Amino acid sequence: MYIYDKFDHTITRERVAEFSQQVARRLTGELSEDQFRPLRLMNGLYLQLHAYMLRVAIPYGTLSSKQLHMLADIAKKYDRDYAHFTTRQNLQYNWIKLDQVPDLLADLASVEMHANQTSGNCIRNVTADQFAGVAGDEVEDPRIISEIIRQWSTFHPEFLYLPRKFKIAVTGAPKDRAAIQFHDIGLQIVRNDAGEVGYAVYVGGGMGRTPIVGPLIRGFVPKAQILSYLEAILRVYNRYGRRDNIYKARIKILVRETGQAEFTRQVEEEWPLIRDTGVDIPAGEEARIRAFFAPPAYETIAEPVVAFVEAKKKYPAFDRWVSTNVHPHKVKGYGAVTISLKPIGGIPGDASSTQMHAIADLADTYSLSEVRVTHVQNLVLPNVKQADLFAVWQRLGEIGFADANIGLVTDIIACPGLDYCALANARSIPVSQRISERFADLDRQHTVGPLQIKISGCINACGHHHAGHIGILGVDKAGVEFYQITLGGAGDEKASVGTLLGPGFPGDQITDAVERVVNTYLELRSSPTETFIEAYRRVGAAPFKESLYGRR
Amino acid sequence: MAQAKEEMKILTANRLRNGETVYYTAAGEWSPYVSQAKVAATPEDIDALTKIGAAAYAANLVVDVNVIDITPGGDVKPSHIREIIRASGPTVRSDLNKPAAPSQRS
Amino acid sequence: MAVVDSNGLIADGWARLADDAPVPKGGSVVVSFARLKNEHNSLFSAATKVGVDIPSDVNLGELEPFLPRLGVIVVRFATMRDGRVFSVGRLLRERYGYAADMRAVGPFIPDQAQFLLRCGFTSFEVDDSYPVESFKRSARAYSVWYQRATDRAASVAELRQGALDGSKS
Repeated sequence: MYIYDKFDHTITRERVAEFSQQVARRLTGELSEDQFRPLRLMNGLYLQLHAYMLRVAIPYGTLSSKQLHMLADIAKKYDRDYAHFTTRQNLQYNWIKLDQVPDLLADLASVEMHANQTSGNCIRNVTADQFAGVAGDEVEDPRIISEIIRQWSTFHPEFLYLPRKFKIAVTGAPKDRAAIQFHDIGLQIVRNDAGEVGYAVYVGGGMGRTPIVGPLIRGFVPKAQILSYLEAILRVYNRYGRRDNIYKARIKILVRETGQAEFTRQVEEEWPLIRDTGVDIPAGEEARIRAFFAPPAYETIAEPVVAFVEAKKKYPAFDRWVSTNVHPHKVKGYGAVTISLKPIGGIPGDASSTQMHAIADLADTYSLSEVRVTHVQNLVLPNVKQADLFAVWQRLGEIGFADANIGLVTDIIACPGLDYCALANARSIPVSQRISERFADLDRQHTVGPLQIKISGCINACGHHHAGHIGILGVDKAGVEFYQITLGGAGDEKASVGTLLGPGFPGDQITDAVERVVNTYLELRSSPTETFIEAYRRVGAAPFKESLYGRR
Repeated sequence: MAQAKEEMKILTANRLRNGETVYYTAAGEWSPYVSQAKVAATPEDIDALTKIGAAAYAANLVVDVNVIDITPGGDVKPSHIREIIRASGPTVRSDLNKPAAPSQRS
Repeated sequence: MAVVDSNGLIADGWARLADDAPVPKGGSVVVSFARLKNEHNSLFSAATKVGVDIPSDVNLGELEPFLPRLGVIVVRFATMRDGRVFSVGRLLRERYGYAADMRAVGPFIPDQAQFLLRCGFTSFEVDDSYPVESFKRSARAYSVWYQRATDRAASVAELRQGALDGSKS
């Protein structure tokens, strides 16, 4: 993991001091709410329905156990003893008091954490593959470039007042676990014909009101020049992105209205002019950061691990959990455990301070003190010895997080929705709870197989509904919550935007509607191995439409 | 008459200092309990509430100030689901909900 | 109106000239970009010093021919969130080599001072009631920066590598 040096500590400390005096000036009235709003948003502080919400950055989703312990302590000390993991690998507290934020930030800083640029019209927290460093299929660990981008984008003087928010995601593997084509910039680490490592650059993807799968604008940017290339993109966007209409201000609209070819030409024209101005970091700095992500001291373990194999034979429930929740590790004898924060009927992504402490303890005992956050709102213990998996599973059972449902129909993404969010039009969490309860039977879940349901409570699409195999969008129809269904979205390397099936359903009918869609799939799939998304791509929307709305 | 009843409104906001959801009361204070909200039923009273809200915002006491509809008859209950949830708390965490009125402890 | 730099209030020798006002002999005047384009010959011959007031969406190519003779460029924030101002500042300094006074005007807040300074701005037009102390504090909020900008301050990465190289020798 990256460890702060004196410079990082200085900047973080100076940031706490700066925001503390901004809060003080707001409370005295020197700053008006209109002036303070962009400043507090740039520190992840929203005003929601019930209180302030603070979004803490978890850069590229990597946490130490010490940091997770602190996040749990903060939940207890400043909030109501729980927190929410988000689709951007961050963490949100829901009941924060403005005048306590300075102290909270100081506590975060003590474990090398912050809330910088987790909201506002600036470059947000960089997200990455949750299996970075442990996945066998990656070209390079995406956390290295993610940390470089974190530093470059932090208080970048030119790019703090962009037309709109700006999200960057990185995948180190051809298998995209970071949904890079739904980001303002998506980077894929690639190797060119000469064997050099660099980046394929996708620009102008996004969800929201206008979902777009981002196009590739350059197949290879050399590693040493990526920051100047990013700076060129950001400068073109900052100068020419629309500022007259909030719904047309994202870079995806600029790319679309300018035309991909012309936009790319502008970037390529800007890039050489800034390439040699000191934007790119010295080679030694890349090496310094790389060293923090060197593989830890893994033990040499021969497979098969007998105790592990025996436990799977003896406990079918454990065997099933391994099949869904344990991802192959690049090192023999290890596995990467996804901890499901999706218990049946639970609130997706929520964890109590007790649960967070317990997971941090598990990381200390079994996972080299490291934890990851996934964009599907789960946690990962990336380095667990196969021989320890059974103990981890048992302990997770004790804290209610041992559901064997990763990637299945109850592993639902849901934004906070109208239960918390000031922007929402409808509730998301209760919908996910009811669907989860409907499909509680694990045998049935495994029969249905891989299926991603994603729920947003408004068009801003924090719940990624456009990228859901089944997407659900909550809308307000004359003061009543209605839910629209989209099918066929995907956030992986075969990214696609879901298609709206038809009119929405009221809250008490949406679970039935989802169940009908699932049953329709079960009836029409060509074989038990044809997944939902494969079947949908084969047959299209028509049979599903018919199952919901009858023949027209 | 029905027309007039539909015009019943209350003033709500969040305290600047701690973000708490509050309602403007007949006593001229801001209360966390929706039941204590001062109800305005005439255009003049609604206008007065609007001005009180603007003044409290300008004085940096509250933010996100809104005059909202309530359902006619009986207890003070906001009309729209958003405001019903704001008044009581997340529907998915009943353990964290607040009552409409302060508890009567003797 | 007052003018400040990172140390506080400074004297302002510039007079703003309306588009229909006659050009005074020997003065220091700031004119609109339209007037500069139309009357640059008479402006530069009559006034001692000429400055221009530009919006943040200015076409810099159109401004370029005048740059060597300008004494101040006033860049206008449309709103406090008008981030184009920062790019315009950097481009004028770094791309076009503009070296004289560059001034921000409009509804920017003190907390943006540090970023404007990093992007090459040298003076700031503010209301008389502006919280100048907050402005000065913002200008000094950070002692180091992660990235290079117009001010040419070494980035943290460069400082680190300098320190590493130093420790080797």
